[in-house]
Amino acid sequence: MSGKGGLIRELNRNKVLFLMVAPTLLFFIVFSYIPMVGVYYAFTKFDFDGGLFGSEFIGLKNFEFLFKSGILWDLTKNTVLYNLAFIILGNIMQIICAIFLAQLTSKWFKKTAQSLMFLPYFLSWVLVGAFVFNLFSDLGVVNSVLTQLGLQTYDFYLQTAPWKYIIVFFNIWKGIGYGTVIYLAAIMSISEDYYEAAKIDGANIFQQIRRITLPLLMPTFILLIMFSLGGILKGQFDLFYQIIGNNGMLYEATDIIDTYVFRSLTINFDIGMGTAAGLYQSFFGFVLIMTVNYIIKKTHEEYALF
Amino acid sequence: MMRKVTKRLTLVLVMSLLISLLAACGGGNNNSAAPEKEKNNGNTAPVQGEAGPDTSKKVKLTWYLVGDAHKDQDKIVAEWNKMLEKDLNTTVDLKFTTWNDWLTKYNLLLTSGEKIDMIFASNWADFYKLAKQGAFKNLKDLLPTYAPVTWANVPKQDWDAVTVSDGIFAVPNTNPEYTPLGYVYREDWRKELNLPEFTDLNSIEAYMDAVKTQKKVTPINGAAYENVNDLFKFWTDTQMITGEIVGATSYATPRDIQIIPFTDQYEAWVKKMKEWEQKGFWNKNSLSSKQEAGDFIKTGQGAIYWRNPSSAGGFINEVQAKGLKMEIGFFPFTRFHNYVIPTLPIANGMAIPKSSDNAERSLMVLDKLRNDPAYYNLMTYGIEGTHWAKGDDDKTIVIPAPGVDLNVTPRYDIASWGWRVEENIKKEKGGWEGLDKLKEEFKPISKPDILGQIYLDYDPVKTELAAVNQVFEQYGKPLMLGLTADVDASLKVYRDKLKAAGVEKLLAYVQGEANKYFDEKGIQ
Repeated sequence: MSGKGGLIRELNRNKVLFLMVAPTLLFFIVFSYIPMVGVYYAFTKFDFDGGLFGSEFIGLKNFEFLFKSGILWDLTKNTVLYNLAFIILGNIMQIICAIFLAQLTSKWFKKTAQSLMFLPYFLSWVLVGAFVFNLFSDLGVVNSVLTQLGLQTYDFYLQTAPWKYIIVFFNIWKGIGYGTVIYLAAIMSISEDYYEAAKIDGANIFQQIRRITLPLLMPTFILLIMFSLGGILKGQFDLFYQIIGNNGMLYEATDIIDTYVFRSLTINFDIGMGTAAGLYQSFFGFVLIMTVNYIIKKTHEEYALF
Repeated sequence: MMRKVTKRLTLVLVMSLLISLLAACGGGNNNSAAPEKEKNNGNTAPVQGEAGPDTSKKVKLTWYLVGDAHKDQDKIVAEWNKMLEKDLNTTVDLKFTTWNDWLTKYNLLLTSGEKIDMIFASNWADFYKLAKQGAFKNLKDLLPTYAPVTWANVPKQDWDAVTVSDGIFAVPNTNPEYTPLGYVYREDWRKELNLPEFTDLNSIEAYMDAVKTQKKVTPINGAAYENVNDLFKFWTDTQMITGEIVGATSYATPRDIQIIPFTDQYEAWVKKMKEWEQKGFWNKNSLSSKQEAGDFIKTGQGAIYWRNPSSAGGFINEVQAKGLKMEIGFFPFTRFHNYVIPTLPIANGMAIPKSSDNAERSLMVLDKLRNDPAYYNLMTYGIEGTHWAKGDDDKTIVIPAPGVDLNVTPRYDIASWGWRVEENIKKEKGGWEGLDKLKEEFKPISKPDILGQIYLDYDPVKTELAAVNQVFEQYGKPLMLGLTADVDASLKVYRDKLKAAGVEKLLAYVQGEANKYFDEKGIQ
């Protein structure tokens, strides 16, 4: 009773504020909430006459193919582990770079270094895939160098072992400039007073970083981690598809849910199964972020997202 | 003042919200209205037919083709639209999927319900599956009225081939062709190294071996999978039905349908391929390579590339036009077993998606395009004098037109296959002569396609199919190229994984459907 009246009164009182937030709300309603209705495709056998709600309801049958091959566990594991490596190693590298850059005094060098680090971010994965192929193929750069040195060549494209590192390396390399800028901004917003006080107390540069910069970067770090966690089951499709492509020899170590679904569905295009796989990813992403947020709320309440 | 503005703004916001909601719901409504409309068309069509269809209303159509547009596409379509506007009071917006991920885009165009009035259709673009699912309009009642010439000149068996559960869902092209695969290869090297002509697997192996050891060139450079897999299918006479998994063991025994990777023949083959891989006939990274083997031939770093006769002709013409110092030969795999299967009528055709509002007009345009030489030549060969010129007679053309540089104005070769009609097709002067010779070779050994028209939508086994395809990608492809370290062990893994994925259920389904079809057609 009071709730309803309260809402209208609230709307009335903060009219201007609600008006300002309206475009954002509208954006999410149109592009996120309305399309969510399409999730229903996951439970239907699609046909062109019926469309979304006219197609036959078949329950969980579309999800079967994910479980059928018994591969889902491996895929989920690969996806999660790769993403964890990307998120944690990536953020650590970004923080280190940001701290280095912040300590640099030469403006010219700082700007150049920053631009160079940012550059890979704008490269398409297609190009990166071509780089990787030319580095590691039979007659690629690495094997040519090995031959020149009189060493045995290595068949990268037949072995699964090196690819974990190659993939993680290229992902971090590509994202480092972007993340560094965010952390650099956070460092710049730390008040100089802390550092001056520390210097007067005789703290050296490492102590300053350890006791001032890192703790004050913590909220940014946790926020970025939380944002990335929601997508932990969503693999970086471009990265894996462009670097590994259709090479079945390497799937054991490099197959993630996205590439698996892509392969299943490009061969046998089926909207229902595609939606089912997407729903699986979103659902577990949702569960994951709720859990992590809950844990953080219990331990460091001020850092929690909501 | 301020308050008025806010009020209006709120109104606008609320309105836009409502509109977007309505638009979202609209999708469903459209679909349910479609069948009713079709019925209407069927009823009114004959009445209009008496005096020729009414074209008083100006209509703008959207057509989609697969593949890429030509550099001068806008000019050509503008020219076309001038003619269309005069004759049919219509203009067409011609769009292309590009070749990159074309099948995914094609499927998405159809499922998203985008308004399209005509689209390329083919059995290799899932025509039968899509028609069964209801992606295309039934043209049966429209054709006699709106495409009378086409209706009359397409043979009845071709219409039968595009009939799915009593409806006609596409207009097949009228251009019977043979497109068996084969190898284009460096014929000059074969002569130089004094090797026998290709006749069987041994002669091909001898050639690759000599190229590798004496010329120091990897015979199949770049992506190798198709090159090897197609050789397998033709050499063993395996007739694949489901991907590269389920098929008949030979043309003579269509009812002997098996899981091909489970056969002894397959086992012997992959062992041989391991030997070939060790001899270095292709690269260890050939599954990841995105470069075509043919591109390496042109740079002198490869020797063999899979093609069908007409694309082999294109390849050879290109090598000649570029003045590369090499002689290219073509060996069709049909010589292994001495028979050839013609393409299905719906190997290329045009269909009208369900979403179209102007199916009648679109059919009229297609009828013109197929049968009026002015239309046909413009859209199939480009603008006369720029992209082609008249040859010695009506049937031959010269490419490029005199005074035109192919480097500035490339060959006009969009995917016009869907509307090709044999009697309008022109021969290119100075083209590869082997093509005509092959046609002569194929005619007497032609045998009907007995497996191509088994309609499979895989609905009861789609879970198994998706899982099996996956296993094939992961284990089947490396095995075919002999890339695994231990063939026996990896073959066992492959077979076990296929079983776990439910390949036996898939086999039972395919056998059941195939036998039903064979019984119906009286094939033993």
